[in-house]
Amino acid sequence: MSADVHTLIGAWAVDALDDDERAEVEHHLGECESCAQEAAELREAVWRLSDVTIADPPPRLRARVLTEVARTRQEAPEPPAAEPRTARPRLRRHRGMPRLRLALAAGALAAVMAVVGGIVTWSVMRDTEPSRSDQIAAVLESGDAAIGSIAADGGGKVSVVYSEQLDKAVVVLAGLAAIGEERSYQIWMVDPEGQVSAGVMDPGDRSATMLVEGLGDAELIGVTQEPAGGSETPTLPLVAGVPLEG
Amino acid sequence: MPALEQLLHGTALGDDDAFARLYDEAAPRVYGLCLRVLRDPAQAEEVAQEVLVEIWRTATRFDPSRGSAGAWISTIAHRRAVDRVRSAQASGDRERRAAAQSEPEYDAVAEAAATRLEHRQVRRCLGTLTELQRQAVTLAYYGGHTYRQVASLLGAAVPTVKSRIRDGLLKLRDCLEVAR
Repeated sequence: MSADVHTLIGAWAVDALDDDERAEVEHHLGECESCAQEAAELREAVWRLSDVTIADPPPRLRARVLTEVARTRQEAPEPPAAEPRTARPRLRRHRGMPRLRLALAAGALAAVMAVVGGIVTWSVMRDTEPSRSDQIAAVLESGDAAIGSIAADGGGKVSVVYSEQLDKAVVVLAGLAAIGEERSYQIWMVDPEGQVSAGVMDPGDRSATMLVEGLGDAELIGVTQEPAGGSETPTLPLVAGVPLEG
Repeated sequence: MPALEQLLHGTALGDDDAFARLYDEAAPRVYGLCLRVLRDPAQAEEVAQEVLVEIWRTATRFDPSRGSAGAWISTIAHRRAVDRVRSAQASGDRERRAAAQSEPEYDAVAEAAATRLEHRQVRRCLGTLTELQRQAVTLAYYGGHTYRQVASLLGAAVPTVKSRIRDGLLKLRDCLEVAR
């Protein structure tokens, strides 16, 4: 099999493998120094293929990226030596209902958990690691978790569990008033300086669980109705505003 | 391109300004590659944003002894773009694929690229490959196809395509190194 894996290095370098083969090749590269050398050399050649596709992105992308980066924590660096990946300690949480240390208002919490356990619509951070469910569990379990909940205008409810320590909040929106496919609900963090978008729900969706990072000095989590895909600034009035006790 | 390495190092130290400059250097490459693979400006923009935030997030993991910053950045961008293509294929999103096959965006990309100087060397080196090698490499890289898909597109045997991709890349490597 080894010779076969070796011939896949080219296809690996241009991402032309399926997931199983990719894993197989990368495992092989970890064990075969000359192969890893060849793979690295091919990657150095391959990336030059992107010389011919350089194109200016829309100017708005810069502000979006810098804004998101401003509230995105960087990963810890690799351990110094080439330790096996499995040796790296990582907080693993079993799936299912996170346990809670804090006695929160039982009714509100039940509502939060019911939605957290359900299917989630959320477009902003779909691919980030650690997994979203782990991050949500971390907020719900944090020692300083606090909860706020308010009925939304037109029906439904918005609940926020937030942790100052983690600088994160879980926002649960349930059964908001029906809106057409051309409108989206958008979530905002409001602080004394103004407001920042904390996420946009898929058009027409009335329920969602959102993970909000980088709370900072936010005093309020607000929800507005916006054109599908969201707006740069909120369209008032708020559908709901949940105050955060600082 | 040691400047890119320095900016990436600054980024790893949490320096916002270094990242902003890294963005200016790298975003056209990231966006352009996403656009070439996905063919859809809206999706390319979305994926480029994910890639650039991932670069910020994982800059701490970049190891210059294992490769150049350019290779590291382009690899992340290409993989994300290809993942998007594959998940769209898996979900059978015909509409999205139909939209992704519209040509005008590609022409715009090709035109923008034509104004840059770097591409000449790559084009010349691609010209040193055999026809089958070149087709296999470009269909895989720019087209985001697996080597099996490339084989069926070219009507060639799967093992042949597999080795043509590798042979082609080895030739490309030699050509780019010699010219450097």
